[in-house]
Amino acid sequence: MKRAGLAGVFLIAILVPFFLNQYWLHVAIISLFYVMMASSWNLIAGYTGQVSFAHAAFAGVGAYTSGMLALYGGVHPALGIIAGTLLAGVLGLGLGGLCIRMGGIYLSLTTLGFSEILRIIITNEEQWTRGTMGLQIPGVFSVYSKTHYYFLFLAVTLAFLVLMRRLLNSDTGLAFRAVLNDELAASTSGIDTVRVRLMAFTSSSAMAGLAGGLYGHYLMLITPDIPSLGQMFLVLAMAVIGGMGSFAGPIIGAIALEFLSEYIRIYGEYHLLLFGLVALVIARFAPSGMVGLWEKIWRRR
Amino acid sequence: MSEFLMFLTNGLVMGGINAISALGVSLVVGIMRVINFAHGEMYIFGGYLSYQLAVGAGIPPVLSMLCSVAAVFLGGLAIEKWLIRPTYGDEMYSLIITFILSIILQNAALLIFGPYPVKPPSLVFGATNIFGLFHYGNQRLLSLALAAGIIGAIMYLVRRTWFGKSVRAISQDREMAAMLGVDHLKVNMISFGLGCALAASAGAIIAPIFPVTPSGSGAVSLTAFVVVVLGGMGSLKGCIAGGVILGVLENLGAAYISTDYRHIFGFIILIGVLVLRPWGLFGKRI
Repeated sequence: MKRAGLAGVFLIAILVPFFLNQYWLHVAIISLFYVMMASSWNLIAGYTGQVSFAHAAFAGVGAYTSGMLALYGGVHPALGIIAGTLLAGVLGLGLGGLCIRMGGIYLSLTTLGFSEILRIIITNEEQWTRGTMGLQIPGVFSVYSKTHYYFLFLAVTLAFLVLMRRLLNSDTGLAFRAVLNDELAASTSGIDTVRVRLMAFTSSSAMAGLAGGLYGHYLMLITPDIPSLGQMFLVLAMAVIGGMGSFAGPIIGAIALEFLSEYIRIYGEYHLLLFGLVALVIARFAPSGMVGLWEKIWRRR
Repeated sequence: MSEFLMFLTNGLVMGGINAISALGVSLVVGIMRVINFAHGEMYIFGGYLSYQLAVGAGIPPVLSMLCSVAAVFLGGLAIEKWLIRPTYGDEMYSLIITFILSIILQNAALLIFGPYPVKPPSLVFGATNIFGLFHYGNQRLLSLALAAGIIGAIMYLVRRTWFGKSVRAISQDREMAAMLGVDHLKVNMISFGLGCALAASAGAIIAPIFPVTPSGSGAVSLTAFVVVVLGGMGSLKGCIAGGVILGVLENLGAAYISTDYRHIFGFIILIGVLVLRPWGLFGKRI
């Protein structure tokens, strides 16, 4: 039953580009980017209970590393994206190594700081990044085709999700949840809680770098909006509204919110305010999100 | 030389403002283990409300400052009661909820107040000659005095009053304090409101000198957090020392190195503290 459901979703995902026009195909590609972002953020927040505010910043690291390597060094985007992923992972390891042992609050504060600083640097180093004007970078394919991009994003997203699922079902995944549920009990049963958290934070940051690199080469114009706190909030809202700590939650949240934000595009300035209010109500009254609500209704029947 | 002294005095004024803003964060962290990511928005609301009341409603500037701080205090009480209280014991949810709140308030402020910086009227005018070295604006001197007065009042409140005793008891051992009859929920609520009011007072005091804008709230929060980590989480003394150190370094750095990178000095200090002395200047070693 579950397998048939997954196969159905997969089939729909493959057929999507043949039914959508160019505009909605673009929306579908952006949703896949957000699926990667929200799922990998969920890996640390939902599964190990640490809140990073630098997820969008790491996507920015990926996008700017790969974009600038391609533009100034002529490096092929495929290599550039790998370099961006590694750099995001290394920065994550460094930041996490400094503050995770001090507790969750420190990680949140430091990542918030990192996020602001990265935005300031990108905005000010205009000769390299063109600041808020945005930097034009080459795409992945020599011939521009949204369908190609869609399949590239779909393949990477699926690989991403399979990898995450494997990780969560392994002993490491068990350690993640042990750290979340009871830190003391986890450490007395021989789990190095700091190492587990650091590992989760580093891999999640690297994943954000990968997603950001792809996103940059798809848009072909990267701006300091990619590593902004507004973007960070969108990712957080997707995970919270969809359901943190569940595998499907952030995926559903990302697709739902991205499509919804296209429908309410005309109310541009109210858009973040509206998502904020919805996310606040969900976080306050239904902390397990839409997936949690659905399960509750299902069980009552 | 007199130029250097002027930058130093600017740093001292900013340091006083940093200190009261950080005291608000530290008070709440010490008691509730909660970081309010909407702290910067409280500061911005303090400045904007005082501008609106003074310029829009024509209320005398001193009164408008007091009213704006009182309004933010009441807002803080409501936020604690409805949003923070249900998250007790779950540190992660309190972080997520206050972050969402900061986005909501920032966007609401943009819609209500608009994106333009505003400057409430000054309370005093003119300048004073400092030791015959340089002239310094009276409004700035008054801000320093007000900040010092608020720091003194908070110290008195925490060290000498019944409320302060309850605060210290709860931050040492919440369960024990509750068993001995301290109404810990009420103390939480008042402390959170006080934390917001401190941010608002910092905003209301500084706004006549440095105008406030909704987009500036992130930097305000960050400054307060850096000061708290530098001084030591939950240490009130640390807030004062940390606030002044950061204020002076940022002003000297902005004057002699680069204005664009003013806020980077704070981040460098944050990383430095985490590397060298993660428990901060006055914090307890873990």
